[in-house]
Amino acid sequence: MVLYCMLLPTMVYFLIFHLYPIIEMKLAFFDFRIFGGNQFVGLKWFKKLFSTPMFWRILKNTLIISFMKIFLFFPLPILFAICINEFKKGAFSKSIQVISYLPHFLSWVVIAGIWFSFMGKSGAVNTLLGKLGVGPVDFLTNKDTIRWTLFASETWRSIGWDSIVYSAAILTIDPTLYEAAEMDGAPRRSVIGKIILPSLAPTMITVLILNVGFLLNAGLDQVLNFSNDAVLSKVDIIDTYVYRIGLQSGQYSFATAANLFKGIIGAILVVSTHLTSKKLTGKGAW
Amino acid sequence: MVMSIVKQKFSIWKLVVGLFLCFIAVSVVLPLLNLLARALSDPDKAFLVSGTEILPRGFSFFHFKVVFHNKLIWTSLKNSLIITITGTALSLVLTSSAAYVLTRPSLPGKKFFMYFLILMMIMVPGMVQEYFLVKGLGLMDNLLSMIFYKTVSVYYLIIFMRFFEDIPKSLTESAELDGAGHWTIFSKIFMPLLKVPTITIGMFYFVTRWNEFFYSSIFLSSEKNTVLQVMLRKFVVENDQVNMFGLENLNANNAIAQLDMEAMKATTIWVALIPILIIYPIDNMK
Repeated sequence: MVLYCMLLPTMVYFLIFHLYPIIEMKLAFFDFRIFGGNQFVGLKWFKKLFSTPMFWRILKNTLIISFMKIFLFFPLPILFAICINEFKKGAFSKSIQVISYLPHFLSWVVIAGIWFSFMGKSGAVNTLLGKLGVGPVDFLTNKDTIRWTLFASETWRSIGWDSIVYSAAILTIDPTLYEAAEMDGAPRRSVIGKIILPSLAPTMITVLILNVGFLLNAGLDQVLNFSNDAVLSKVDIIDTYVYRIGLQSGQYSFATAANLFKGIIGAILVVSTHLTSKKLTGKGAW
Repeated sequence: MVMSIVKQKFSIWKLVVGLFLCFIAVSVVLPLLNLLARALSDPDKAFLVSGTEILPRGFSFFHFKVVFHNKLIWTSLKNSLIITITGTALSLVLTSSAAYVLTRPSLPGKKFFMYFLILMMIMVPGMVQEYFLVKGLGLMDNLLSMIFYKTVSVYYLIIFMRFFEDIPKSLTESAELDGAGHWTIFSKIFMPLLKVPTITIGMFYFVTRWNEFFYSSIFLSSEKNTVLQVMLRKFVVENDQVNMFGLENLNANNAIAQLDMEAMKATTIWVALIPILIIYPIDNMK
């Protein structure tokens, strides 16, 4: 009895703030009415969604940005963890690690502020490029570079933090393997290629698979803070679209249909990636 | 730090790796110090600070004084602190007590609750529905809306459960023999044993709440309930000079109105950074 009382607040929280709004997403199958009951319209809003060219462009943007953040980014924390491991545990590697985790704790508003400052026309990057004779590059309001700016800022924020799981896996490598390699006089590159990388494989698979589960989350907070009118067509994603047509223009049913589409695909991806990862490595998302 | 590098065996490979790691650390530290240099510069010289400088030109707290003279900064800072501190406390109480209950072997229906929570992790409520929910509860423009928003993370709950499972059963049994109830066992025996994980998870909740800006900007519409990240976005991303310098100063075109915009942005960014930098070392002590 006491046990249920202790569990009650958490359950009430989920029922009110989580389950109820999920059930209310049935609005995607209804016409929204301010007065009187909503009218059931079947798949009308989904048909409209799939026949809107804008939606396909947004889905494409979402997938491109996500792919960059998942697959291009994927080797970087591994590289970082291996590089850290090249230095013995000490003040140097510890301080690099502590510094590299810091951006993970900053909000996207703060990160955008920092990036506008150091990637801007008079920022550090363009000052250095200027000294090399390369004229100021516009990273932030340029359609061709903005996705790379999103990718680079994501890397800046996460390379250190996401390397933790690999660093932890490197620590579990049997030290006798290193000793044997040393006895054979193996060069450093084969120690990394034949001992360290293979031992990271299960972690790599888990991380990669689980990230694919969040394929449709291209990063609302990041995009909202980095986008501007000049680049919107390249960074407009499902979340910003739902925000715009739903909360800003009040097309509630249509926005909910787009949101539900994202939610269903997302749920299928999370469950299937979880099951795949569990089967392959024994480790799942939960 | 330098000594620990010198002591290790030198090679070109190590040099390359070391430079790569230093590059990452510099990419984090340089922009932050550059912003601090702008913020602490003499108001007349702040515009001279280039993107690569890390020392202030002259020294003055004038920019900080102007920022802290801004009523909106104080209001939003106060609101952010209220939401973050009470919210984190609420999150921790709910998450830890639920984790305790769900790790009791005697709990009937444990499987059902776990399936329910995992379902809650997979399914995400829609944006429009969350907006209607907060409106329906009468919590629009009320700090409570953000205190309740994302109170419990299923992910952290599962991590918490693993820690509870690691506590030896004999401890519970002997406490039960002494006639201690579940609440006593939980609060007097378990929680003191789990200080470190509680602080860690508390810090994650704290950082997420402190950095939250999207939903704060939707739920908290009036100026008196705004939070720091939303203010910061106005200043740093949207270049809102009226709120930053104050209309009366802009009209009078006085000393404050002529302050360097970049320096003022840098100062507000640092104001938002300070709480993160205070809490950051706590996590790295582990």
